[in-house]
Amino acid sequence: MLAHRFSLACLCLLLSCSVARAQVAPPAPHEDEAFDLMNLMSDHGLHDLVRERWNAYGQLTYISSAKLPFRAPYTNAGGTPNSLRPDAEHSFTLSITLYFGLHLWPGAEIYFVPEAVGQTQLSNLKGLGGSIQNFELQKGGSATPMLYRARTFLRQTFDLGGEREERTSDPMQLAAITTKRRIVLTAGSFTILDVFDRNSVTWDPRQTFFNMAFMTHLAWDFPADARGYTFGGTAELYWDAWTLRVGRAAQPRYPNQLETEFRLWKFYGDQLEIEHNHKLFGLPGALRLLGFRNRVLSGRFDQAIAAFESDPEKNATTCTGFNYGSENANAPDLCWARKPNVKLGIGIALEQWVAPGIGVFLRAMFADGRTEVMAYNSADRSLSLGVVARGELWQRPLDIAGIGFASAWISGAHARYLALGGIDGFIGDGRLTQGAEMVLDVFYSLSFWRAFWLSADYQLISNPAYNSDRGPVHILSGRFHVEF
Amino acid sequence: MWSSERHLPLRAAGLLCALACAPVQAQEAAQGFAVERFYASAPGAGYFVMDALAHSGTFAGTMGITFGYSHDALQIRDEGAAAPLSVVSDRTFVDLGFAGTYDRLRVYFNFEMPLAAQGQSGQLAGFSYTAPDVDLSSHPDLIADARLGADVRLFGAPDGSARAGLGAQLFFPNGERADYMSDDTFRAILRALLAGDLDRFSYAAQLGWHARTLDEPRVPGNPQGHELLFGVAAGARASLGPKTHVVIGPELFGETALSSFFRGRTTGVECLLGARLETPVDEERVLRIKAALGGGLYARFGAPEWRALLGLELSGSVR
Repeated sequence: MLAHRFSLACLCLLLSCSVARAQVAPPAPHEDEAFDLMNLMSDHGLHDLVRERWNAYGQLTYISSAKLPFRAPYTNAGGTPNSLRPDAEHSFTLSITLYFGLHLWPGAEIYFVPEAVGQTQLSNLKGLGGSIQNFELQKGGSATPMLYRARTFLRQTFDLGGEREERTSDPMQLAAITTKRRIVLTAGSFTILDVFDRNSVTWDPRQTFFNMAFMTHLAWDFPADARGYTFGGTAELYWDAWTLRVGRAAQPRYPNQLETEFRLWKFYGDQLEIEHNHKLFGLPGALRLLGFRNRVLSGRFDQAIAAFESDPEKNATTCTGFNYGSENANAPDLCWARKPNVKLGIGIALEQWVAPGIGVFLRAMFADGRTEVMAYNSADRSLSLGVVARGELWQRPLDIAGIGFASAWISGAHARYLALGGIDGFIGDGRLTQGAEMVLDVFYSLSFWRAFWLSADYQLISNPAYNSDRGPVHILSGRFHVEF
Repeated sequence: MWSSERHLPLRAAGLLCALACAPVQAQEAAQGFAVERFYASAPGAGYFVMDALAHSGTFAGTMGITFGYSHDALQIRDEGAAAPLSVVSDRTFVDLGFAGTYDRLRVYFNFEMPLAAQGQSGQLAGFSYTAPDVDLSSHPDLIADARLGADVRLFGAPDGSARAGLGAQLFFPNGERADYMSDDTFRAILRALLAGDLDRFSYAAQLGWHARTLDEPRVPGNPQGHELLFGVAAGARASLGPKTHVVIGPELFGETALSSFFRGRTTGVECLLGARLETPVDEERVLRIKAALGGGLYARFGAPEWRALLGLELSGSVR
């Protein structure tokens, strides 16, 4: 029995391959001119940057945000706990990440990424439907940085021929010569965003937009634990300009929690993505179609409402199972409707470089909106678009500037549930005058000494938690980021 | 309404009863600590605990992964109790380490990741013990105290009959005491190292000081401050082909609290019988497979009833 448990645990670890919510964003590729350990060793003849046996990178990011006081005729109405507080608040995150990669055998690489994050949130991360002002924020967490194993995954590449392609040395990527036709299998613990929706314009939020709305589709409830990582496997087929990606990954046992459900045959998140890379007037671009299907233990909004209307005793205060702690006895609660449910969504993403160093992007997704948020954000439909300019235009090649707009909506059932005083994992003011949650995000990242970035950011968020009675909210942020 | 005079004898009897019952009912809660006393040697160091001090040459690196299981790593015994309490009965972990060497110097760091830790909760010797409840589902990304270490060979050639060196390790607190994986304080180990090769035989030894500020002598099983570490290892080498060989032999190691030197409850001694196979993967890299099985010769103070270890290491020049 013990031997069985031991071998099972070892197998699970070996097969683990992960990615996550807050720290879900994959790191940006390192620019040739940037300073880092691998470039330094290569310059001294101690490292081969063409056929790498191993590499090691790291990053440190500190983000500080100040939310200004805003107008709110009511807050936490009826005993709900999920409103964004209307007074001034401060939030920070500090993240330190190390990336280790090792070549094992032809085509096989193993990656290990430990990470430490410390943070304080605005209003305990409540009160925003998806426009979280800092993409690094995790569910839970504490001000004292906690070290955890973010990613441990095995990646196997099978070359199928075609044109040769040079892969550069980057965090979670060993330099190698590969082909444009290949199969890449990944298994272990990782974040889904390491594989899917890899956007070259808004690549790493640690260098670009601060708001979570620009990290990926807000309505994509991708499988992730409370930190944004998961266990699972993915397969990618690269065929010249086309790429097909499929993957299955583990969901949290209960919505938005760290505890992971490993019964992948019963509860899971499936993703399917088709990507086409193209050149328009000689400049690169890509179009992606992404679909997801989750099967999870979650609550349907209409069933929670029906349960409450048929028996008002079925409210948040009488729930004995997993719930979000609302004290509103006159409102429905998802607790009474939680059972295995399916959630579906489909999205499209477009990125295009329109001039050297200037890229535009657009993402749009529609999810069915029948069930609660399981792992990402309380959005059922989302749209984001923007432009990012790299400093080549003004002779500061590592500087980055950008402006983006994002909007998110909720389904009719979701809105009715909130209007009745219900709450989900992140929102619920006790009342609702429905509106789209929108954010405008403007930033500038100033690079110095080839490894450091200082950034300033302004965000305007209207209709927080899809409630036009409250807001708008102004948030000012600063960021210090170093890569090595 | 009750008269206070009339019910004085009754009240006095009640108070006496309450005082008599108090020691039984009000058990003090024992807090956890970093129960694992298997302080693995650096990746590429040869033995599981000792250090062969055989590193040399220009820049080289090693990545090592060690799977471990220990049974009854923390058993609390009390003379008045019918059976000991196995607070940490089953513990499975994986340790991932990275080392870089240059000439006589090695720098390394390790991340120990508990995969499972279970045990038996209960009350013993006036304390209430809560067993850890760790598994991959509830703690999917757990890392225990992270370790940064450095070893230097001061005397002797890498393949000489006698080599001596020093080693230092710093543990960064991470995780919860309740999970029995951290003292929640910084810890450090300083070691004097001795090793050598005599024809087909190898040996190694260590004597160390574990700087540990957690000092809870009242709580049976818990650390009592700084500790002395000791250990010896020996191995016989057999060649299995060009550049491929196997070393088989025992490793004996333990620890005792300096505040109660080599007393029964504060000393643990453990022996492993292990083998390591070393074979080249290609012109640049060497693979090492290590396995060991053993247990506590004196199964107290963190030495488990038995332990199994399996390690894989890949070494190569940095270039």
